[in-house]
Amino acid sequence: MEQPIDSPQVPVNYESVAWKWMRYSGLLLIPLAWGHVLIQDVLVGVHRIDINYVALRWATLGWRIYDFLLLSFAFAHGVNGLRQVVHDFIKDEKLMRRISWLILVLWIVISAIGATAIVGGVRID
Amino acid sequence: MRSIQTTIMGFSRYRGREGHWIFVLHRLTGLGTLLFLIIHILDTSTVYFFPSLYSHAIEIYRSTPFMIGEIFLVFSVIFHGVNGTRIALFDLYLTSRWKTPSQRTSARWTLAIALILWLPAAALMARSLLANNFNL
Repeated sequence: MEQPIDSPQVPVNYESVAWKWMRYSGLLLIPLAWGHVLIQDVLVGVHRIDINYVALRWATLGWRIYDFLLLSFAFAHGVNGLRQVVHDFIKDEKLMRRISWLILVLWIVISAIGATAIVGGVRID
Repeated sequence: MRSIQTTIMGFSRYRGREGHWIFVLHRLTGLGTLLFLIIHILDTSTVYFFPSLYSHAIEIYRSTPFMIGEIFLVFSVIFHGVNGTRIALFDLYLTSRWKTPSQRTSARWTLAIALILWLPAAALMARSLLANNFNL
């Protein structure tokens, strides 16, 4: 007997929302992350990047918004992916809960550092 | 610890061919990109917190090993994106494509598309590496 692959009864809970969110954020990251990598790594290159380049880029509000979106979506996507991978290796639920908290704190702290820098901008003395 | 061993054994011994390989590659490229992303958020943040340190970070990125790593990073981002698009499309709209034969074909296509997109980027980055670090 052939079972239909798509089951219509998926409960709406944290994991099912996270599952969907990984797919939609992933699709959004195609233009965001690929655009960023194409411009900065391939076309400009690290030898032409310095603090003045960052200052010039962030002088345009649009690029700051772009970088802010990239920080939000790429990092959240990556951190949730890390949580999913770790979950495959840790069967102890109590331990997994602790690791999840640790990952959450890591995400909040690093996101906050990055967001502060994007909002605060370049400080050339 | 034993469950970790079982999982690693499962990942390496499971013989799912294309679908299995591309699953492992998706995870490796994802974790690799995340590792770089964490470092990259922190080093870029120095422009606000410690502006004088930013040039040191950039100097490290300009070294030959890091520029070679950057070429693989770009492969990871491209591959993870192409395969992620496949996963999203199949999961959200084309669930029947997860059946083994079409899954294998699509896995091969995914790798081919990722390589075709990566090669010109890799060539440009390799040219920049040779020009800047070896005066070629």
